[in-house]
Amino acid sequence: MSRGGYIVHASCKNRVKDNSIQYPAPDRQSAAGKVFVEALLVVVAGVAVAFAANQISPRGLALTRNYFPAENNHTATAAANANPAALSPAQLLAAQMRKNGLQLLDGGQAAKLFHDTRFKQNTVVFIDARDESHYREGHIPSAYEFDPYHPDKYFAAILPICRAAEQIVIYCNGGDCEDSETAAILLRDVGIANQKLFIYGGGITEWTNNGLLVEVGARNSGKLRGANK
Amino acid sequence: MDTFTVLARWLLGATFVYLGFHKALDPADFLKLVRQYDIVQNTLFLNSIAAALPWFEIFCGLLLLGGVAVRGTSLTLLLMLVPFTILVFHRALILQAALAIPFCAVKFDCGCGTGAEFICRKLLENFLLILLSIWLLAGRGRQLSLRFSLMKSPSH
Repeated sequence: MSRGGYIVHASCKNRVKDNSIQYPAPDRQSAAGKVFVEALLVVVAGVAVAFAANQISPRGLALTRNYFPAENNHTATAAANANPAALSPAQLLAAQMRKNGLQLLDGGQAAKLFHDTRFKQNTVVFIDARDESHYREGHIPSAYEFDPYHPDKYFAAILPICRAAEQIVIYCNGGDCEDSETAAILLRDVGIANQKLFIYGGGITEWTNNGLLVEVGARNSGKLRGANK
Repeated sequence: MDTFTVLARWLLGATFVYLGFHKALDPADFLKLVRQYDIVQNTLFLNSIAAALPWFEIFCGLLLLGGVAVRGTSLTLLLMLVPFTILVFHRALILQAALAIPFCAVKFDCGCGTGAEFICRKLLENFLLILLSIWLLAGRGRQLSLRFSLMKSPSH
């Protein structure tokens, strides 16, 4: 709006400037411009709300934490994408784990350790590196739960067990699942000796496909489920 | 009343609230999916996308449901949908080449919040969402809106 109109009195032919009259200023913003500005406001407000919500949420992510501590993961993924016929993702991941100094177990070795007397004495332990919902759907009997993406929740319980154990077998879904590797590296970083750590590459998928029992619910719930059920 | 446009606004809003909520329930899983696209290597940037995007989608969905800043929100969602759809399409092409299967037989979790889906269905869904966003961007259906536009019109 701009000020400065003129009043022309009917009885007077003189024009008198009247600053109280307002005329609409030219609309300098196009409709498209208004939409862009509105979108910008939505983005700014939305981003602020989003980060605040992440901070408040108990499941929120820590922005500066490296959730994938294994080195060269992107190289492995990129190599698989670029030359898919060479190695399967599972084979690439196995190579990646060896490169990271982790020891791998096959299904037979994992089952043998499960039936070892040391397992009953808790000097051989199994650790499930999947999230809580997948753990509760079915895990290797007596395996401990350890979600590497929320390690603080589990460290207090899992670390004393790992320190006392002679061998620690970590698994996740199997195939190209990297969570077991992530969990192993996390444990190694907090002082668990690398020679104790073993990755069961086939994971829960191979375990169930081999006809072995899984435990449902919490650890030592006693609820066992047969294979392929 | 432009019933179709109001319903379209509610549908688009509800869809993004649902998709965002599904991702916000498990941001670590969403982080793994975002990482698979291999477009961002920086930890802070990657974590920020995975942390903020679900809640941002919920925010935009709620704006549409309430009829607030409709055109600006529609434009924002459109600017998200188009590049993401291209990324999903590109990843599907890679998987198709790796698995040597027909394109529409490719099935994976794109990180959209709907779990693993066949790519053709996913592309169709995204195309419909894009169309809805464009329709709302046109500025129709101001009924049942709390504040259709944030920008004030000049008064006379």
